Amino acid sequence: MTTDATRPWLHGLLELCLLGLLGDHRDYGLGLTGRLADAGLGAVAGGTLYPALMRLETSGLVRSAREPSASGPPRKYFELTAEGRAALGERRHAWRDFSRSIDAVVGSEARR
Amino acid sequence: MSDWPSNFRHALTERGVDPAQVQDLASEALDQAADHGLAPATMFGPATAYADQVARALRVPAAAPLPSPERSGCALRLTDVSKRYGRRHVLRHVSLAVGEGELVAVVGANGCGKSTLLQICAGTVRPGSGTVERVEHVGYVPQSGGTAPFLTPAEHFRLLAAARPDARGRGVTTGARLAASLGWRPRTGQPAGRLSGGTRQKLNVVLGELSRPDLLLLDEPYQGFDHGAYVDLWTQIDRWRDTGTAVLVVTHLLSELDRVDRVVELDAPEES
Repeated sequence: MTTDATRPWLHGLLELCLLGLLGDHRDYGLGLTGRLADAGLGAVAGGTLYPALMRLETSGLVRSAREPSASGPPRKYFELTAEGRAALGERRHAWRDFSRSIDAVVGSEARR
Repeated sequence: MSDWPSNFRHALTERGVDPAQVQDLASEALDQAADHGLAPATMFGPATAYADQVARALRVPAAAPLPSPERSGCALRLTDVSKRYGRRHVLRHVSLAVGEGELVAVVGANGCGKSTLLQICAGTVRPGSGTVERVEHVGYVPQSGGTAPFLTPAEHFRLLAAARPDARGRGVTTGARLAASLGWRPRTGQPAGRLSGGTRQKLNVVLGELSRPDLLLLDEPYQGFDHGAYVDLWTQIDRWRDTGTAVLVVTHLLSELDRVDRVVELDAPEES
């Protein structure tokens, strides 16, 4: 769950999370919001989510297409580009190294 | 109060988003809010704040700078510069150098002569003693002033471009492009005297860069900027540096000092 303490962390990691989710499959805004919440990351506000997707699109890691929806207004679907897939691979590695370092500094419950 | 879509469109236009795109962005936002079953204001927050985020998210990231050949040249060198006004010493024996592609900050207490130092670098104030050497093409963004209240931004651009034969005729286009990178779309026909303080300062920044100077002197160039514009300005400063421009910036915002190459600290003014 996100708390006041963890929210700034997610802020810095949201783009990585979105790359990860879109790496699994293409999706639209509401779908991504639901998947983030299901993963225990809380409700990400639209005012945070959509600009993050736009930044990814501006930098060429994601592309989007508007498609009619059966249930309501047209939906904008987002998917990774080839560059996005490459970036996901790199950032995933960087994150693993980084989180390992943080773990080493913070220590684990068992060690204390 | 409830006209979120129209406030959103207005704020996007004001921030330099292409008018053709504004309509699409607004209807997209409304669709997305409807999809979530929320009112736009609940979903995205205030229209102006959201427009600010969107406009910045859409801005094309700076192209990677061309690898510059050899950057060993010195763009500005002050040797032992001193300045007094009457009996008051404003600057005492200041020496500094700024190389091509280097970003140097000048910091110091209020009244320690930071602005005077920049005016001496720009050549608008004579040093009392010491020497100033610098490259030919210099852009200077003063803390205030520097614009003509009865001229429109476009007229400013044309005027400044006329000074460089290679830039003549392209001033207005170039100026508009530079303004867009600071999230500003100049309205036609509006004289500079009617612009808000922050926007007039953006005009100043654009004018400083317009003639593609080799040395750019910035005196607290962000007065009246909102947070987004402030972030954009530092991105822009990084870009100038990366393309080989020498930048000397006077600042009192010490949180930005980790991004500059070197800091020159001026001595506190003498006790009187």
